[in-house]
Amino acid sequence: MFSLPIDTLLIFAITTPALGWLLERVKRANLCGIYAAIGLAIVTWEILYMKVPLNSGLMFIDQLGVFMALAFSILGLMACIYSIKYMERDEAIPLFYSLLLLMIAGMIGCVFAGDMFSFFVFWEMMCIASYTLVAFRREKWEPVEAAFKYLIMSSAGSASILFGMSLVYGMCGTLIFNDLYKILSNVSNVWIYVAAVFIFIGLGIKSAIFPLHTWLPDAHSAAPSSISAMLSGVVVETGIYAICRIGFTVFYGIYNQWMEIIAILSIFTMLVGNLTPLLQTDIKRLLAYSSIAHIGYMLAGVSTGTILGLTAALLHIFNHAIMKGSAFLCSGMILYRLETREMKEMAGIGRKMPITAAIFSLSLFSLIGMPPLNGFISKLLLVMATIEANMAWLGAAIIINSAISAAYYLRTIKALLQPISSKKVEEAREGPIIMLAPLLILACLIVIFGIWPDGLIEFAKSAANVLLRG
Amino acid sequence: MNEYIILSLVLYALGMYCLATKRNMIRLLLGIEILINAANINFISFSRAIPGFIDPLAYSIVTVSIGLAASVTAVGVIILVYAHRHYGTLDVRVLKRLRG
Repeated sequence: MFSLPIDTLLIFAITTPALGWLLERVKRANLCGIYAAIGLAIVTWEILYMKVPLNSGLMFIDQLGVFMALAFSILGLMACIYSIKYMERDEAIPLFYSLLLLMIAGMIGCVFAGDMFSFFVFWEMMCIASYTLVAFRREKWEPVEAAFKYLIMSSAGSASILFGMSLVYGMCGTLIFNDLYKILSNVSNVWIYVAAVFIFIGLGIKSAIFPLHTWLPDAHSAAPSSISAMLSGVVVETGIYAICRIGFTVFYGIYNQWMEIIAILSIFTMLVGNLTPLLQTDIKRLLAYSSIAHIGYMLAGVSTGTILGLTAALLHIFNHAIMKGSAFLCSGMILYRLETREMKEMAGIGRKMPITAAIFSLSLFSLIGMPPLNGFISKLLLVMATIEANMAWLGAAIIINSAISAAYYLRTIKALLQPISSKKVEEAREGPIIMLAPLLILACLIVIFGIWPDGLIEFAKSAANVLLRG
Repeated sequence: MNEYIILSLVLYALGMYCLATKRNMIRLLLGIEILINAANINFISFSRAIPGFIDPLAYSIVTVSIGLAASVTAVGVIILVYAHRHYGTLDVRVLKRLRG
């Protein structure tokens, strides 16, 4: 009904707990992770071979949707394989996979939706699954507190989106994106500004734009590591996608105004995201803050409004999913072995876990923007796009912020390579192979998309063309 | 119709006020319900915009959105119960251990 990938995900989401109930009888509940991973692999394959554009009533699938859905399903598959070992000590494992699949289904539904209301329904599905996943380790106080904060802020944002949508409905009598574009592209009255304020506040909370970012570091560091990778790598980016899609269809008539505001906010978002982690000693909080900084880079690309800027922003979404996913999964590996997130206590872990430390350093170098890696390509395109759009000040902000960010990323790498000081680290050993496999795949993708980015850039360009109707 | 828009804007403001000032966690969840109901009232009032015709789209949207609001609140209440077990209180000011 909702196009093939979403239907597959929903079927797997429903059957996973049933299978898990059977597997729990034979004390092998973590095997249903393999079942969920098979489902995600099928979905990735289906998305890769999808014919676009496809219009099926509720869903309108185009290049942009497929581009985003591919990022979601690849990172989802890696997080799912990783969780098989990572989550095996927890209770209620089948429900974990069920919620993970529902969250991915919600995200893919968001990017495939053809009208604003089905977008909202899938958005809420993603949100509800992510609240539950953040609070999954409910026996500790930290996830519960973070999840409550996340739930209150994020659902207030969702309610704002719904309110804005009701105003758009009142103006047009329809919520289908293509019709809204035709009706509203020349309209600029008071009500459209009011609706834009409500909708952008709602989307801004979910995509952690300054000053609405306060929930992000708590929720992302308290969640289990594979979920942190998903939240930071793709869930937040769904908000950026929504800003692009809704901004370029519904609010195309007041394009210049919201672009300027987004450009200014992007600089503040970058600054907050890069200055706060300088003082952090908790490794997952540091990575969570750095995703705020990367949201700022993406917004800078969106705010240029040119084809190159949007290509760069979409490419950075894809690359950030891979880089940050890999970084979070590596920090999860260290957490799995040492059970600490403090940087001081993990001094010298690189000597005991060489493969994890190498992949972690690779993803951190990529997040800085070192030349042969994929982070460099998208940041270069972002800077080029800002110069092309006569917004060189924005490009300068990106370069300065990347330089600041190098300080805390390099500090993390230094912590990995220091001499060993504690006994815990002395006894640590390399992580299990099933957790290393997704890390190795992500590391390969970082290098491959850094050396041969052409195919991905073409794909991102065709997706950006959809937004600008080129 | 203007009266309904004013009503829903007032409700939205009340919901935001509730979220900003109230300290009880259950009240915060009720504030979210108020926000969503403000949007629902808007949808219903706009469905009568054309005289002599009532748009069924708005009604189906509101039905689904009530369901979604209920599920968000349900998840909120579950988290609240666990928060109460950890902290022994429903005062949201106590939930401030996460800092920096």
